[in-house]
Amino acid sequence: MTRALFSADGFRRGARDGVPLAVSIFAYGVGFGLVAAQAGFGVGRAVATSAAIYSGSAQLAAVNLLQSGEATLWALFAAILVINARYLLFGATLQPWLWSAGPVRAYASLLLLGDANWMMTMRAIRAGEEDRAYLAGTGAPVAVGWLSGTALGAAAVSVLPRPEALGFDLMLACFAAAMMTAMVKSRLDLLPVVVGAGTALGIFQWFGPAPAIIGAGLAGAVAAALLHRGEP
Amino acid sequence: MESFPVLLAVMAAAAFLCRVAGFTLMRLVPVSPRMEAALRATPLAVMAGITALAVQAGGLAEGLALASVVGLTLVLRSDVAAALLGVVVVAVLRWAGL
Repeated sequence: MTRALFSADGFRRGARDGVPLAVSIFAYGVGFGLVAAQAGFGVGRAVATSAAIYSGSAQLAAVNLLQSGEATLWALFAAILVINARYLLFGATLQPWLWSAGPVRAYASLLLLGDANWMMTMRAIRAGEEDRAYLAGTGAPVAVGWLSGTALGAAAVSVLPRPEALGFDLMLACFAAAMMTAMVKSRLDLLPVVVGAGTALGIFQWFGPAPAIIGAGLAGAVAAALLHRGEP
Repeated sequence: MESFPVLLAVMAAAAFLCRVAGFTLMRLVPVSPRMEAALRATPLAVMAGITALAVQAGGLAEGLALASVVGLTLVLRSDVAAALLGVVVVAVLRWAGL
């Protein structure tokens, strides 16, 4: 099998596109740093957590569990598995495109995978992006923003404004709404949008946000597969 | 309670497993045109789900901001600019007391 393109140019293109994401993720990192510091984490532990788990929603849940004082290792492991189960979908959707870069580059790129740069990369793939380094490129500035934001939030708890006051808690939803709108090219694309939104709202009522997002993705996939008629 | 490095290692292992498992398992699945249609639809459905949950959890300010993001994306033809403006819109609306 010939290896797909994985070049410095593609990485740079991704990094440029990732900068606006990084600004927002920086603010989210400040938010996590604040929470971690209030839970008694120092700067070192807060940054280590951000680097090791590298997922805001999972880290916030883990800090809450640890604060409750009743967290077992299994409870922590299970909580992160459930909250991050959406990454199973992220990885599966990237696989046909990313695998052709070769295993080392592919798995290394996955370490930099997050919600926002997954959305951005899927949109780029749909628009014809061939360079597999694009994913790692979008992830690089995001990682810098996430870790530096965490450090700042943990170090300067009392002097910073809460990110909520500046609207940054709605950042991921804003990116989701914008990229979704940009990716809808035909009436057929509205099917997963409607199915995804409806499924998420339905599942959320009973099972909370993490299963709602996974359910939305799966329901959209199944709906599209069922309606597929075999034309290219 | 275990020491912090042990907690961190367990949490990192769970997060890593989620990152690589879907990707690895997908190698075993043959990508038919039908599967390709399903994979293409998944990001749209996930993004719609995230947006719908944010609208439901939020109030008027959040709903108006996300609606304006959809409109701005169509008008500006730049999704990133529209998303960043959405953050500004919700901040202003909250500041105005909505």
